[in-house]
Amino acid sequence: MNPIINILDKGIEQSGVDRKTISIPSDIPFPPDAVKTLRIDYFQTPRGRAIAFGTGLKLGNPALKVIPIVGDLMTLGGNHFVHGARRNMEILVLCINNFVYKKIAGKPLTSANPEFSAYSTFEEPFNFPHLGNSCGAVYTARWTALHTKELATSVAEALSKRGLSMIEILAPGPNYYRTIDGVNSDILQFYFDNSIIKNNEDPRNVAITPEEKIVVGTFTDRERPTFIDSYNLQHKKILGDKFTPHGAAPTERGGKDG
Amino acid sequence: MAVERIDDREIHPMENLLRMDRMPHIWCPTCGIGIAVTAFTAALEKAKIDPNMAAIVSGIGCTGRVAGYVKLDSFHTTHGRPIAFATGIKVANPKMKVIVFSGDGDLMAIGGNHFIHAARRNIDMLVVCVNNFIYAMTGGQVAPTTPLAAYATTSPYGCVEPPFNIPYIADSSGAVYVARYTALHVRRLTNALTEALNKKGFSVVEVISPCGMYYSRINRLGDGLDMMKFYHDNVEIRHGEDTKNLDIGFQTKIICGKFVDRERPSYMERYNQWLSEVKSTRKNLDAPKGAEGEG
Amino acid sequence: MKANPKDVLTGVYYIDGDVASGYGALAAGCKFVAGYPITPSTEAFEAVCHRGPQVGAVFIQMEDELGSISAVMGAAWAGVKTMTITSGPGYSLMQETIGFGAMLEIPFVLLNIQRGGPSTGVPTKTGQADMMQSRWGAHGDYEVIAISPDSPQEMFDYTIKAFNLAERYRCPVMIMSDECVGHMTEKVVIPEADKIEIEARRMYNGPASEYMPFKPDPDLVPKMARAGAGLNLYITGLVHDEKGHPVKSANYKSAHVRRLVDKIRLNKDKIIELKEDGTDGADVIVVSYGISSRVAVKGVEIARQKGIKVGTLRLVTVWPFPDERIAELAQTTKAFVVPEINYGQVVFDVARCTHGKANVVLVPHGGAGVHNPSDVADAIEFAAKHESPLEGVHEFKTRLEKSVFEGGLKLKE
Repeated sequence: MNPIINILDKGIEQSGVDRKTISIPSDIPFPPDAVKTLRIDYFQTPRGRAIAFGTGLKLGNPALKVIPIVGDLMTLGGNHFVHGARRNMEILVLCINNFVYKKIAGKPLTSANPEFSAYSTFEEPFNFPHLGNSCGAVYTARWTALHTKELATSVAEALSKRGLSMIEILAPGPNYYRTIDGVNSDILQFYFDNSIIKNNEDPRNVAITPEEKIVVGTFTDRERPTFIDSYNLQHKKILGDKFTPHGAAPTERGGKDG
Repeated sequence: MAVERIDDREIHPMENLLRMDRMPHIWCPTCGIGIAVTAFTAALEKAKIDPNMAAIVSGIGCTGRVAGYVKLDSFHTTHGRPIAFATGIKVANPKMKVIVFSGDGDLMAIGGNHFIHAARRNIDMLVVCVNNFIYAMTGGQVAPTTPLAAYATTSPYGCVEPPFNIPYIADSSGAVYVARYTALHVRRLTNALTEALNKKGFSVVEVISPCGMYYSRINRLGDGLDMMKFYHDNVEIRHGEDTKNLDIGFQTKIICGKFVDRERPSYMERYNQWLSEVKSTRKNLDAPKGAEGEG
Repeated sequence: MKANPKDVLTGVYYIDGDVASGYGALAAGCKFVAGYPITPSTEAFEAVCHRGPQVGAVFIQMEDELGSISAVMGAAWAGVKTMTITSGPGYSLMQETIGFGAMLEIPFVLLNIQRGGPSTGVPTKTGQADMMQSRWGAHGDYEVIAISPDSPQEMFDYTIKAFNLAERYRCPVMIMSDECVGHMTEKVVIPEADKIEIEARRMYNGPASEYMPFKPDPDLVPKMARAGAGLNLYITGLVHDEKGHPVKSANYKSAHVRRLVDKIRLNKDKIIELKEDGTDGADVIVVSYGISSRVAVKGVEIARQKGIKVGTLRLVTVWPFPDERIAELAQTTKAFVVPEINYGQVVFDVARCTHGKANVVLVPHGGAGVHNPSDVADAIEFAAKHESPLEGVHEFKTRLEKSVFEGGLKLKE
C-alpha cells in the first residue's frame, strides 16, 4: 500500500485539488501516519462498502472530492461499483488489484514451489476497465505500481473528471501473494517485463490473461452527465422554482450545524 | 394447436410442465411474464431437458413468482440471491440443469454483484431476466432499468439515473450467450431460450415485458395491447449487434436479437482441470488443503 | 433550535403512518435519505422522494439495503441529518453496517416497518418479531435506542424525536413500527415550525489541530465533525482511541465499548418515555408497544368491565428498557400481561426485571394479524385470578393458537 499512498499524494498534488475537500472511504486500512501525510479525511468502511459510503459523502456534501479505495477484487462491493458507474456518481474509484493468479503473460509465476502452485485460483479474473466502461464510467485506466509517474498523472486527470472514474492499480501484495504462490522474483521486475502501455485501447481487449502481456494505459475518457447533474436538471424541469438545485451552494445547506 | 380435453376439461398444452394446482397465477392481465413462462416451458420441451434434472430458481418480485408455477424443482429464494442460490445447486450437483428466472430489479439491482460474478466465473446456468423497467411487486418504484426521465413512484419527477444495458454488462462480465427479445417475439424468444438451454456456460436472455399496471399506467403508455403495438413498431432485430449499442431510452427503439454466442470454459470445467492438476502434483493428496495464513 | 418553516408541511392531513414518518423526517431537518423499495415501508420513501426535492433534501434509491445504509453513514459524516427506510429482509441486510454506525457513533435514524418473518415471510402483513434484532442485531456490544409508535400522528412526532435523540447521543435510533401502523390512515396534525423543537448536531468548533473525533463530553457523547472541514479525520470501525486511531489493547477495548454502552445506559432516564395509565395499585399491568398497545386498549376495557384492576404501561421507547420501573411495579402488582406479535421477545425482559416478584404472562401471536382483544382480556383475567407463582414466562393459549394447534400441529383454514 505504501507506494500507492505515495502515488496518491503525488496525484493529488498534481491535480491542484484542495486537500481539505478530499475524503477517502476505503475498505483497506491506512496507517494513521499516511492519512496525516495526505492531509485528507479518511474513513475505513465495512468491507466492500467504500463506494456506497462515498456515494453518501458526495451527496451529503457535493463540494467534496471522494476517492473510494477498494481491494479484494471488488468481491463484496462489485454491485456498488457497477451501480455507481451507471449513475455516474462523481467519485474516483481506485481498485487495488493484487491478484493471486497462477500464470501471467505466458509465464508461470509459480516456478519456486510446485506444492503451492496447484492451489492457485482457477477462476478467471474480471476485466475491470471493461466492466467499468460497460456500466458507464467516464474514465477508466489501469497501471501497475511500477508506473508511478503515469499513475500520478492518471489520478490527477481522473480527479478533474465529472463522473465516475476508475483506476485499476496492479500492486504487489508481498506477504500473501508471494508466500502463497511462492514468487521469489521481484514482482516489480515482473510488472516491468510483462506490461505494455496501450492508451485508448478498447477496454474489451484488455483482459488479463495467462497468454498475453498486461495492457496498461488510459482506456476510457468521455463525458456524461453526473447523477447530481441529472438530478438537478430533471427536477428543475418539472418543479421549476420550487426546486433548489442540489449542491448549488453547499456551504449554505442545512445551516451552520448541518 | 388443437385444444386437448381430459374429462371435459380443457388442458393447457404445457400442463405437464406447469403446476396447475397453483393456477390462477398472480400476474395482472396484460403482463408479459406469462408469455415468457410459456416460451420457457416450450423451450424446455424443445431442448429436451429432463424435468427431473432441472431446477428453477427465482428471487423476489413479480417474476420471482415464476418458480412457483413451473413444475421443476422450484426455489423461491430471498431478494437478489437466486443466482447465488443456483450457483450452489450447480456446483453441488453439476448434473442439474439450473435456470434462474427473475426480474430486472432482483437480478440487476440487489443481485447485480452475483450476476457479474456468476458471469465472470461462467457458471453453467441460464438466466432469464424479465425486464419490465420497474419494481412492480412493491408498487412501481424506479429500477436500475427504468429509462431516463420515465416516471415511477420513487422518481415522481422523472427518473434521474441512466438505466443499465443488461446485454452489455452481461457481455463485459463474461456471459457466453446473450439475447434480448420482447414479449411479442414468442417464436424467436422460444428459439433463443432453447438455444440457451443447450449452451454450456452463463447464458442470459433478457425478455422485455409490458407492465400494464405500473410502468405503462404511471407513464400513460396505454394498456398491454398498446405496448405490444409499440414493440411491433419499434423493435429492430439485429443479430450480432455490438452490445454497447443496446441502450434503451424512454419509448425509443429497442434492438433485439442474439448478440453474443461464444465459448469459454465453464466454472466446473476449470474446476475439474484444476483438481486433476492438484492430484497430479501431489499424489498422496486426498483433499486440497486451504492456503495457510490469516484464518 | 426550531424547525425550518420550509421543511414543515404545516396542516391537518389524512395520511398513513409511513407518509407521516417521511414528513416527520423532513420536518426534523433530514437532508439525505437513501432507501430501497420494500413492502410495507415503501410509502415512507415515496413521500420523501415526492417532497424532498422541494425542501432541499436529496434522495437516492440505492442498489440494495447494504448500499442504502452505507450511503447514510457517508452522508452523516458529510454533515447532514440522514435516514434510511426498510423492513423485514432489508433490515437483516443492514445489520453489519448498523454495528458500524454504533461503533463510529454516527447519528442516523432507521425506520423499520416490521412485517411478518422470518425471511420473506408475509410482506404485506404485520409482525413485531424484529424487536430483539433491533437490540442485538449486529455483532459486538453496543446500545441503540428503539422507539415504537402506535399511530400515524406518533409516527410524525416520534420521527422528529428519533432525530433529536440520534443527534444528542450520536447513536443509531430505530423507529420500530409495524405494518399496521405504517399502513394505518388517520388524522395527522403537523404543527407550525416554531412549535417543533429540533436538536442541532453537536459540532466541533475549536482549532483543527486539537480535534479528537471520539473525545467525549462529560455526558460521554463526543462532538461530531464533517468531512471537508480540514480536520484530517481518521475514522475506522476498528476499536479506536479518542483520535480515531486503531488500537488493540484490552484497556482501550474496554474503555471504548464501555462508553458506547454507557452513554445510553447512564442517560436512560432522559431517553426512556413510557405512557402509564392506572398502574398504581393495579392487580394486573399490561405491558405493550406499537400496534399491540392499540389492541390492548380494548382488552383492558373488557377486563375493567369485569371489575379487574388493570393498569397499562406502554413502552414508547422499547430500548433502552425501563428495568427500574418494571422492578418497582413488580413489588405492587400481581402480574404483567405482555401481548406482542411474536412468540416472546420483549416479554423476557419484563420477566427479567420482575425478579420473581410478579407473574409474567405472554399473549403470543404468530404475525400476519393482530391480537383478538378478547384474548388480551382473558389473559388479564387469568393473571388476576392466578394466585400461585408461575414458572418463568407463562404462555397464554389464545383463540387463534387453540384453533390452529388443537390436537397437535394441525392447520385449519
